[in-house]
Amino acid sequence: MAEDSAKSTKSSAMGGKNLPEFDKLIMSYRRSDSPSMWWAIFGVVCVLTAATRFYKVTEPEHVVWDETHFGKFGSWYINRTFFFDVHPPLGKMMIGAMGYLTGYDGAFPFVKPGDSYEGVNYLGMRVGCTALGAMLVPFAFIIVWQMTRSLPAAVLGSSLILFDIGLLTLNQYILLDPILLFFIMASVTGLVMFQAQKDRPFGKAWWSWLCFTGVMLSGAISTKFVGLFVILYVGLHIIKELWDLYGDLNNSLLYVVKHFMARALGLIVLPIFMYCVYFYIHLTVLCKSGNGDGFYSSAFQSQLEGNSLYNASMPLELAIGAEVTLKNARTGGGYLHSHIHLYPEGAGARQQQMTTYSHKDFNNRWLVKKWNEEPGDWEDDDPIELVKNGDLVRLEHVPTGRNVHSHREQAPVTKRHHQVTGYGENGIGDINDVWRIEIINGGEGEVVKTVVHKIRFVHHLVGCCLHSHNKQLPKWGFEQMEVSCNPNVHDANNLWNIEDNQFPKLPNGSFEIYAPGFLEKFMESHTVMFQGNAGLKPKEGELTSQPWQWPINFKGQWFSAIEGFKVYLLGNPLIWWGNLVIMAAFVFVYFINACKTQRGYPEDPQIKAQREATFAACGWLLIGWALHYLPFYVMGRILYFHHYFPALLFSSMLTGVVLAYILESIPSLLPGIIAQSAYHWLTGMIISTLAYSFYLFSPLAYGMHNLEPGFENHTIHSLKWLDTWEF
Amino acid sequence: METEVRNRKGTNKSPKVNRKQDVQDLSDDEMLKKSIQKLKEINDTDRDSVIISGDTVVRNYTGDGESAPDTPPPEMAAEDDAPIKPSTQAISHSSVPTDTLSKDKPPLELSLRLDGMSISLFLLAFITRVWRLESPRGIVFDELHYGKYAGLYMQNTFFFDSQPPLGKQLVSLAAYIAGFDGNFKFDRIGSPYDSLVPVAAMRMVPAFFGSLMMPTIYNLLVELGLSHYAGALAAFLMIFDNALLAQSRFILMESIFMFFGLFGLLCILKFRRLYDRPYSLPWFSCLCVAALSLSAAVCVRYFGLFTFALGCGILAKDFWGMVGDRSVSDRQLLGHFFTRAAIFCTIPLSLYIGTFYVHLSLLYKAGPNDNIMTSAFQASLEGGLQAIIANQPVQVVHGSQITLRHTHGRTCWLHSHDIMYPVKYADGRGSSHQQQVTCYSYKDVNNWWIVKKPENEELVVGEPMEPIKNGDIIQIVHGLTSRALNSHDVAAAVSPHNQEVACYVDYNVSMPAQNLWHVEILNPELTDGMWHAVESQVRLIHVNSTQALKFSGRQLPDWGFRQHEIVSDKVIDQEDTVWNVEEHRYTRTEDKKEREREMIRQEMIPTERKNLTFWNKLYELQYKMIFNNQENVAGHMYASDPLDWLTLKRGVAYWISTNSNAQVHFLGNIVTWLSGTIGLVGYLGLFIVYLLRRQRACYDLSEAVWDKYCTIGEVLCVGFAIHYFPYFLVDRTLFLHHYMPAYIFKLCLLAAMVEHGHYLLSNYLGAPRLAQAYLLIVGLWMCSILYVFAYFIPVTYGTSELTSEQVLSMAWKETWDLIIHKQ
Repeated sequence: MAEDSAKSTKSSAMGGKNLPEFDKLIMSYRRSDSPSMWWAIFGVVCVLTAATRFYKVTEPEHVVWDETHFGKFGSWYINRTFFFDVHPPLGKMMIGAMGYLTGYDGAFPFVKPGDSYEGVNYLGMRVGCTALGAMLVPFAFIIVWQMTRSLPAAVLGSSLILFDIGLLTLNQYILLDPILLFFIMASVTGLVMFQAQKDRPFGKAWWSWLCFTGVMLSGAISTKFVGLFVILYVGLHIIKELWDLYGDLNNSLLYVVKHFMARALGLIVLPIFMYCVYFYIHLTVLCKSGNGDGFYSSAFQSQLEGNSLYNASMPLELAIGAEVTLKNARTGGGYLHSHIHLYPEGAGARQQQMTTYSHKDFNNRWLVKKWNEEPGDWEDDDPIELVKNGDLVRLEHVPTGRNVHSHREQAPVTKRHHQVTGYGENGIGDINDVWRIEIINGGEGEVVKTVVHKIRFVHHLVGCCLHSHNKQLPKWGFEQMEVSCNPNVHDANNLWNIEDNQFPKLPNGSFEIYAPGFLEKFMESHTVMFQGNAGLKPKEGELTSQPWQWPINFKGQWFSAIEGFKVYLLGNPLIWWGNLVIMAAFVFVYFINACKTQRGYPEDPQIKAQREATFAACGWLLIGWALHYLPFYVMGRILYFHHYFPALLFSSMLTGVVLAYILESIPSLLPGIIAQSAYHWLTGMIISTLAYSFYLFSPLAYGMHNLEPGFENHTIHSLKWLDTWEF
Repeated sequence: METEVRNRKGTNKSPKVNRKQDVQDLSDDEMLKKSIQKLKEINDTDRDSVIISGDTVVRNYTGDGESAPDTPPPEMAAEDDAPIKPSTQAISHSSVPTDTLSKDKPPLELSLRLDGMSISLFLLAFITRVWRLESPRGIVFDELHYGKYAGLYMQNTFFFDSQPPLGKQLVSLAAYIAGFDGNFKFDRIGSPYDSLVPVAAMRMVPAFFGSLMMPTIYNLLVELGLSHYAGALAAFLMIFDNALLAQSRFILMESIFMFFGLFGLLCILKFRRLYDRPYSLPWFSCLCVAALSLSAAVCVRYFGLFTFALGCGILAKDFWGMVGDRSVSDRQLLGHFFTRAAIFCTIPLSLYIGTFYVHLSLLYKAGPNDNIMTSAFQASLEGGLQAIIANQPVQVVHGSQITLRHTHGRTCWLHSHDIMYPVKYADGRGSSHQQQVTCYSYKDVNNWWIVKKPENEELVVGEPMEPIKNGDIIQIVHGLTSRALNSHDVAAAVSPHNQEVACYVDYNVSMPAQNLWHVEILNPELTDGMWHAVESQVRLIHVNSTQALKFSGRQLPDWGFRQHEIVSDKVIDQEDTVWNVEEHRYTRTEDKKEREREMIRQEMIPTERKNLTFWNKLYELQYKMIFNNQENVAGHMYASDPLDWLTLKRGVAYWISTNSNAQVHFLGNIVTWLSGTIGLVGYLGLFIVYLLRRQRACYDLSEAVWDKYCTIGEVLCVGFAIHYFPYFLVDRTLFLHHYMPAYIFKLCLLAAMVEHGHYLLSNYLGAPRLAQAYLLIVGLWMCSILYVFAYFIPVTYGTSELTSEQVLSMAWKETWDLIIHKQ
C-alpha cells in the first residue's frame, strides 16, 4: 500500500518548502508540455495499476461467482464440446485459449461457486483476464489525454479508475467483463488516437489506428452484445467528423467520399468480417455433440460428432407410407409424441393424449397415410407416391394405431386452442383426422423433404394448425409439453420438420448435401441466441437489480461468500458518489452556459474557446456514459449490478476532466498567497483521499478473512455506510 | 461553419445572428418601400403574403414591456390567423403600417367568424360516424370492458382498471343521461344488448369526439403553415379511413384520447403565435386550454403522456427561442417561465386528481375485483370486506385469531395444513419434513392463526388484554393444528436460496423450535404503535435469523397443492414481506359460559374504524395501477406487433353475428395506410437530401419554406415517433388499434408531403403542366381511397349480411383473417 501514496507525496507533501525547482515541475505538469513528464507520470500510473491488480490475483483458490459458467465454457472449448450460451463467443474463446496456452486440460467441471481449485491449472485464465482488465487504467489515461491534452485531467481520470474497488474486483476473475471492458476502452482509445491523426489522413498511422479501432469494436460486440453501445458511440463520433469534413467547402466531394469509404472499410466491413471469423472459429472448434444440441435444428445437429443425426442416412423425400418423427421447429422444440394414456376427465374428450417430448422414444414414430386410403406394406410394389405441398394426409401413431385428430374442444392448457388427440382403431378414424401439409415458402406441388423443409399441418375441417410450445401438461400428462390446434395459422410455433424418415423403397441419401453452410449455421446460432436473451426474464416475485440502484452504489453483489474468504463487489463509494455530483454539476453548468450563449452575452473569446474545448470532451464522455447506461432502463431482461461498469468508466473519465478544469479555475478565484499553493494542496488532497479510500475498502476486493482472529474488530465493519450493503 | 457560409451569401434572412445588424443596415427609404409593399400585400387574398404581413404587424408589439411601447396596446391588434413561428421569423423592420391597420378596428368588437370548412368537415365526419350507430346491437370487442365499467358506475360499484377514468366517466355520463341503470351483464363479446341499454347514447361519445378530430386536424395543419387544401386533405384521409371510423363508432377510448391530444397540440400551436401578445386574454386561454386538453388525454389513457410530452417539447422550444430574444429582459424571461410552468403544473394535476376524486366518490360499494386492493382499502368500501370486518375488534392482542393477508401484489393469505413437506424434493435436496406453510389465494378455515406472547401459555384473551405493540416478540400458532410458525436454516422448497418456513413438529432430532417472531409495524404512527387489524402493515422478522417472512411468488409443486411458497428472506425491505391482519376475532374457549362472557365483552370493544381519506385511497389506487401487471393475454389470435402495423398486416375481429357472416373487422383503408408509410419515408428521405445539400451550401428551398418543412417534421414526425416507438418496448399484447395515435400523425405528414410535392413541381421545377398533372393524380388517388373505403364498408359498419364469397373477396392479404361461419 505504500506505493499507492507514492505519487501523492510527490505532489503534495511539500507545499511550501524549497522550491522553484518543485514549482517548475508542477508548472510543467499543469501546462502538460514536457514529454518526459508525461512518460514519467504514465509510468507511475502503469506501475500502480499492475501492483494493485496483480496483488493476490491467485486468491481465492476456489471457483468464484460466474467463474462457474465461464470457466466451464473455457473447458468446453478445450474439449471441443458444443454448447449454447446467450453471449457471442469471442470472450469465452479467449478464456479457453488462455487456459489452453497455459496448460489447462479442460478437465475441471466448474460445478458451482466455492469448489476448490486444488491441483487445477486455473492461473493462466485468471491472470489473463486480470491483465486485460488492468489495461483499462492506461487506456483511460490516453483517452483523457487525447481528448483534453491536459496531464492533470489524464491523471485524475485514470486514478479514479485505478482506485475503484468495484473495477478491481470485477477484473480479477475469470469473467467476460474484464474482456468486454478491455475491448470497450481499447475501441475508444483507438478512436481518439485515430482522431489525433486528423492532420495526416490516409497515412500509415491513420490507417493502423482506424483498423485497430475496427478490430477492437468487433471484439467488444463479439464478447457481449452490450458491445453494441460502444459501436454506437464510435459511430456518433465518426458521423460528426464526416459531417464536418463534408460541410467544409474546401474539401471536394470526392475527397469526402474517400474519407467515408475508408471509415466504412475500417469500422464497418472489417468488424463484420472479424465477427464472422470469430463465429467461424467457434463453429469449427466445437464439433462434438454436447448439451447445447437440443437448442438447434435437426440439420444443425447432423453436423455434430456424436449426435444421433451425425452421418445419418435416410430418404430425402417424404412418401406415403413412410415412418417419420416430427420435431417442432421452434427453438428447443420436442418430438410429436403419443402414448396409450387418455386425457383425464375435464380436459376435453377422453381420447388418447398427444404431447411433445424432448427425448428420442419409440412413441415418437408416425406413419404417413393418404387421407382416404390405408397404405400397403413396404414389401408391396405399389408405385411410390411422394407427399407434395398442399396434400391431404393422416398421421397414424405406429405403436397404438391411432390417428392425429382434432376437434372443437378446448385444449387442456391453452384454452383458446383446440384439443388434439389420438383417435381411431388400427388407423381407421374419421374425417377429423385429415390434415393438409403446407411447406413454408414452398411452391405448388413441391415434394416435402426431410429435415430441410419447415412444414405446417392445417386441420382440414377446423382450419387450425398443429401447434406446440413450452407449456407443460400437468402430472397426468407426465409433464410433457402440450400439443394443441392453434386457430392462428401464422403462429411461429406451428412449424414442424421431419427428422427421422424410414421408407425402404426410396434410396437413402446422406444429409451431407443439406449440411448447413457456415452462413446458415451463423444465422441459426443468432436466432437461438436472441431467443435465449429474450427468455432471460425475471420470474414473478424474483428480486432483480434495478438500473437506478447502480450509480448510487445502492447494493453490491457477493462474489465469494465462502467462510474464511469473502469477496463483495461494490464500488468505491467516494468515487461513485463523486461521479454523480460532478456529473450533475457539469450538466447544470452546461445548461447555464447554453442559456448565456443563447442570450448572446459577450465573452472573452479565449476563455470561451478553452471552455468549449473542455465542454466538448465532457459532452462526449457524457454521451458515452448515457449510451452505456440508459438503455438498461428499457431492457426487459434480467439485470445485474455489474452491467453498470462500462458506464462507470465513462463517468469516471468525465469526473477527471471536470475536476482538472475546476482545479485549474479555483486558484484564479482565490487571493494571491493562497492561490499559489492552492493548486498543489488540492491536487494532493484529492489523490491522497482517493488512495486512502481505496486502502480502506480494499478488503472487499482482496478478500475478507472473516475466520481469522480479530476480524470482528476489523475496520471494514465501520465502513458499512449504507444498510443495503451486505458485507 | 454554418454561419460563416451564410455570411458569405449575405442573406438577410439568416436568423438571430445578424438580426441587429440587419436592422441597422436597412436604410430609411428601404423601410418605407417595404411597408408600402406590405400594405399592398394585406389587401391581397393570397394566403402566403398575409402571413408575412401578419408577422410584421404583430411583431411591432415586441419590445421591452417596461419601456412604454410606441405602438397601440395588444388588444387592438388585427385579428389574424396566419401561422407564424415567431422564433424563426426575421424581426420586424417597420412600425409604420400598424397604425393604419388598427384604425380599421373599433376598440370593442365582438366578432363571430364561422369557419365553413371546419364545420362541413365535422358534419361529414359526424354523419359517417353516427349512421346506424345502434347496430350491431351486440357487444363489440372492448365494449365488453367499457360498457361494463359504465354499468358499474351506474351502480356505484368499485372496479379496478389500470387506465385512468376520464374516458369511462364521459361514456358513463352519456349512459346516465340516457337513463341506463347498469343492469346488464356484459358477459362476452357478441352477446346482444337488451332494450334497456342505451347503446346509441354511449356510442355517441366516441363518435362525437371522433368527428371533432377532423376540424381539429384541419386547423392544426393550417397552423403549421400548410394550405387549407392540405388541411382538408388530411381530414379527408381521416374521415375515409375505415380503421378510424370503426374505432370511433363503438364504445372505445381511442377517439376521445386522440381528440384531446390533438386539440391540446392545436392550442399550443395557436399559443406560439401569440408570442408577441404575452399575458393577453387569448394568450392565457390558449395556454390553459392546451394544458387542460393535453391532461385530459392523459386522464383517458396513460399513453397520452407522450402527447403531453410532445406539447411540452414544442412549448420548450418556443421558450428557447425567447431566451435568445434580447428584447425580452431577464426578469420577464423568468416571469414567462414561471407562468408557463405554473399553468402546466396546476391544471393537469388538478384535472387528474379531480377525475380520481369523482371516480372514488362515485364508486363506494364493494365489487367483484376489489381484492386486488389492500384490506384497508376494501374495508372503506360499502359491503364486501367491510361487512365482514365491521364488528371485529381493532386491537390485536395476545390470543387474537387472525388471518394474515399478503398486502401488496398477489392476494393470498398465510395458510397451513396438516401435511408435511416431502422428505426429499425432486432435485434431491432434503427438507425438514415439517408441516407445510403456504400462501393460499382463497378464503379457508386453514388461514386462521392465533397470536400469542411467548411467555404466556394460554391461548385465551386475558383480562386485562395484552395488546401487541410495534417491536413485540410473538409466536403465531396455526388455528386448526396448533403448531407454531417456525423458520430455520433449511433451504426452502422452490427458492433454495431462502430459508424454509414451516409449522414446527417436534421430531426430537436436534432441530429445536425457532418460532419467535418480531413484529415490525410499518405505519406505527397511525395507530400509536399498536398492532391494529386491517390498518397496520407489518413485517414478521424471524428472531433467530433476522430474516423476514416473505411470499416468494413461486408455486409449490403438486405435493403443495400448487399453492404459493412462503419463505424467509434476509432482504427485509421489500414488498413481498409486508402483511396485514384482515379478519380478526378474539379467541373464545370451548367453555360455553366463557364464550358468552367474551361475547358480552366484545360489545365494549371499540369497533368504529377510520375511513381512509381520499388521498390515502388515491395513493393506493395509483400505486396499484402502475405496478399491477394485468393479466396478459399472450398470443391473442389477433395480436400484432408494431412492425406489422406499418403495412397493415393484420386486422382485429371486433364482432361477428351469430347467425350470419355480418361482422365488424377492424381494418384500415389499405391505400391510405400504405401511402402514409410512403409519405413518412418520403419526408425523411427528402429531409436528408435537403440537409446534405445545405451542408454543402446549396439552398434548394427558401429559408421560409425550409423552416416550414422543419416545423412540420418537428411536430408531425416527432409526433409519429413518440407515439409509435415506445410500443417496441412495451411488454404486453398489442393490437392494431394501439397504432391509431401514431397513424394520425402519419396521415397529417402525408397531406403535408402531397402539398410539398406540388410546391416542388410548381415552384422549384417551375413546371405548371406537371403540377397540374400531379393534381390530377392526387385526385385519382383520392378516388381510389373512396373506392376502397366503400368496398370495406360492410365490415366496418357490420350492418349487412355477407356471403362467404363476399367475405373472402375482402381478404386482400393472406394475413387478414376475416371470419366465415361454416355451414
